[in-house]
Amino acid sequence: MRERAGTESDAILGVVPGLVLEPGTAEEAATALSRCARDRLTVGFVGGGTELGLGHAPSELDAVVHTGGLARVIEYAPSDQVVMAEAGVTLAALQGVLAPQGQWLALDPPWPDRATLGGIVATNAFGPRRTRFGSARDLILGVSFVRADGTAAKAGGKVVKNVAGFDVSRLMVGALGTLGLLSSVTFRVHPRPEAAATVLFPAADAAQVTALVAAARAAQLEPSSAAALAVSDRFDLGVRFEGFSSGVSGQVERLLAAGRTTGLAGGRLADAEAASFWARHDAAREILPLRLKVSAPASRFPEVARAVLPPLLGELSPGAAAWYPSLGLGYVGGRPAGGAQASAAVVAARAAAAGMGGSVVVCEAPPELRAGVDVWGPPPPGFALMQRLKNRLDPDRRMNRGRFVGGL
Amino acid sequence: MAAVVGPRNCFADPAELLTYECDGLTHGRTRPDLVVLPGSTEEVAEVVRLARAAGRPIVPRGSGTGLSGGARPVPGSVVLGLSRMRRILEVNLPDAWVRVEPGVINLDVTRAVSGAGYYYAPDPSSQSICSIGGNVAENSGGAHCLKYGFTVNHVLGARVVLEDGSVVDLGGPALDAPGLDLLAVLVGSEGMLGIVTEVTLRLLRRPEATRTFFATFPSTDEAGEAVSRIIAAGILPAAIEMMDRLAIVAAKAATGLDWPDVGAALLMDADGPLAEVEHTSERAVDIARQAGALELRLPRDEAERQLMWKGRKSAFAAVGRISPNYLVEDGVIPRSRIAPVLREIEAMGQDHGLRVANVFHAGDGNLHPLVLYDVREKGQEERAEHLGGEILRMCVRYGGSITGEHGVGAEKAAYMREMFCEEDLETMRFVRAAFDPDGAMNPGKVFPSTPLCGEKPDRGGPHPAERAGLAERW
Repeated sequence: MRERAGTESDAILGVVPGLVLEPGTAEEAATALSRCARDRLTVGFVGGGTELGLGHAPSELDAVVHTGGLARVIEYAPSDQVVMAEAGVTLAALQGVLAPQGQWLALDPPWPDRATLGGIVATNAFGPRRTRFGSARDLILGVSFVRADGTAAKAGGKVVKNVAGFDVSRLMVGALGTLGLLSSVTFRVHPRPEAAATVLFPAADAAQVTALVAAARAAQLEPSSAAALAVSDRFDLGVRFEGFSSGVSGQVERLLAAGRTTGLAGGRLADAEAASFWARHDAAREILPLRLKVSAPASRFPEVARAVLPPLLGELSPGAAAWYPSLGLGYVGGRPAGGAQASAAVVAARAAAAGMGGSVVVCEAPPELRAGVDVWGPPPPGFALMQRLKNRLDPDRRMNRGRFVGGL
Repeated sequence: MAAVVGPRNCFADPAELLTYECDGLTHGRTRPDLVVLPGSTEEVAEVVRLARAAGRPIVPRGSGTGLSGGARPVPGSVVLGLSRMRRILEVNLPDAWVRVEPGVINLDVTRAVSGAGYYYAPDPSSQSICSIGGNVAENSGGAHCLKYGFTVNHVLGARVVLEDGSVVDLGGPALDAPGLDLLAVLVGSEGMLGIVTEVTLRLLRRPEATRTFFATFPSTDEAGEAVSRIIAAGILPAAIEMMDRLAIVAAKAATGLDWPDVGAALLMDADGPLAEVEHTSERAVDIARQAGALELRLPRDEAERQLMWKGRKSAFAAVGRISPNYLVEDGVIPRSRIAPVLREIEAMGQDHGLRVANVFHAGDGNLHPLVLYDVREKGQEERAEHLGGEILRMCVRYGGSITGEHGVGAEKAAYMREMFCEEDLETMRFVRAAFDPDGAMNPGKVFPSTPLCGEKPDRGGPHPAERAGLAERW
């Protein structure tokens, strides 16, 4: 296993590790954590580094394990639509393996060229196709991981249906590496659609967006993606259908009709226009240096657009927001004018979202803003249980110490 | 406890305890010391506190339709039945969810919202009597989970009573609450992590159209090939079910359907937007023909469609007409391996001198081999149990699972080591210990009790509800 001293470029939120370990196999990953256990080193995990801004800065960080060397696709059975790959495989690399068989992993988080499967699972990263296919939680079938003491273990399996034992695979989704180092992941994959079409409803207000999404559901349409991009106080709503071409065309027509009944004029985009709409979406998702994730019940979007987004966007220049209206999730980001005002805006937005049963998580933020706000918000109701679980799986709290909710 | 739940809802009379000795797996029985039927979260919490103070294990129970002994009592235990908690608490159609108590019957969720065009997707075959709480405990599936997923994909939140009587809310209608996804591991934990007293379920809009076809084949080889080719063509059916010769014979005997005597049959549902469904169902029919289908039947109307499904759904119980006893297996294999696996099962049956009927969810490779035997013939029951175990081991050998939807329960704990090594089980034990350090909640399930495979798995015959015609299993 390669190892070296840590440098500035290995820092996680400004904390530079003394040691960097770069395993090339699952066995080496276990060896890496055994070594950290033996030497009582606190340790962080880095995949593609796309979501390293998520969470608190580590309260201690002796070592970092890079998973980039875990880059093999272990097993791919196209006829079973199941793929098992090491955690350091990037999403784009995996899609490259699946594409010749006419399949894909139906996850489309930002930065596919850098985002690794392990990182996507650990951060529960997702994109607009969550609308139809769900998130990593819905597509994961199994995991292999290394526990804090260096023990290699697995959970789940490699068939699409399996209820043997506790669902530790799903527990790993969004756990930010606090319960174990993922060494490989098994996913269900889907056929690549033969056709796609995006319908754009420009400059809709939040009530119209909500009404249109409800109308699409009432009309029994099944879009693969729906995203509303903020343009001043309005939204460009893009709805994408994917599947067999006859089904796509039929659904486009039905959606346009549903738009007319809600007073919204939309149009089917030409391929180049559709690509540019989704590129705008991607840019909104990948914006820096501040990025926040907002959750609220889908029907409350008008309230989100009134009480959550404006205080945030008001402090950002440039700023952008992408909202997934059927999921009740979205992202806001941009460049804050000043740290203190931006912190206050986050606090205000969080209070408004909490009032609807939702949340605001700071996914990326400049240091001056972090000082004024807890990036995760208050600990959730099950926090004591989360602590107990952490204590069982990592009793010395050495994995990603201090980074997760409540310093978990 | 009688003071907490009222004397009528707390009983220890042996005659009254009889019902609670087993669940749908009727073979293994253990009498609990006490059965308590609380009516609220507060009562559940208080009953848990009292049972714990008395050092009694707690066995949660829904409708008792489980097929793996997940609700089987242990000696000295208190059975905590949730059947009185059956209120639908809140329906929110704008956000498409419903909040229910755990004793609510699966099908009643759909009934409550079907007028508005919505439904609850997971459809275990016992859905007319099984409870949502039990579904959550077992992560129940059904015929349509190929497209729509399992219970875990449809639970948004839960109120949970923990082993110390404390109450915690996990998840909720808004997605992605910060923190560990404890709800994900709670679902399917077989009542060993806590007792759900309220559950928030995702509702789906009814699909615009459903197209069904029934196709017959000379043998399971061609039928299995048809399934593989349909999936490979990029079609995601809502359900695709297979029956072999013996299962078809049994279903015909039970329902009087005019199905031909053939080696295998497929029943497929495609659903979704009309334009999409017409295309996919036509294509699937073509593929089935090319794969060697003898006959293709398309239902003329909804009544005929329901009849086809009735034939499929009755196949389990119908096996009772061609054999005095049978045991139901539940294993999973990669879906491309159906044909060789079924041939292997047939050969294994011959080796054991037993017949095996197969009726199962072909689309996701979830086998339900029914091993037929006669308990009066000396040695047959033991041979049947042995064969069932061999079939599970074969599923694992093919890269599959020892259970696709029935759960591990008491029955398959002894098989867990076929799939998982000690380190894997240890991780699950850590999870268990975080929620329930003393192991008081539903002990004796999931985990193999000894390091060596000395345990004898348990089997069963027909459930009382099945005999009464209230339920089918598949």
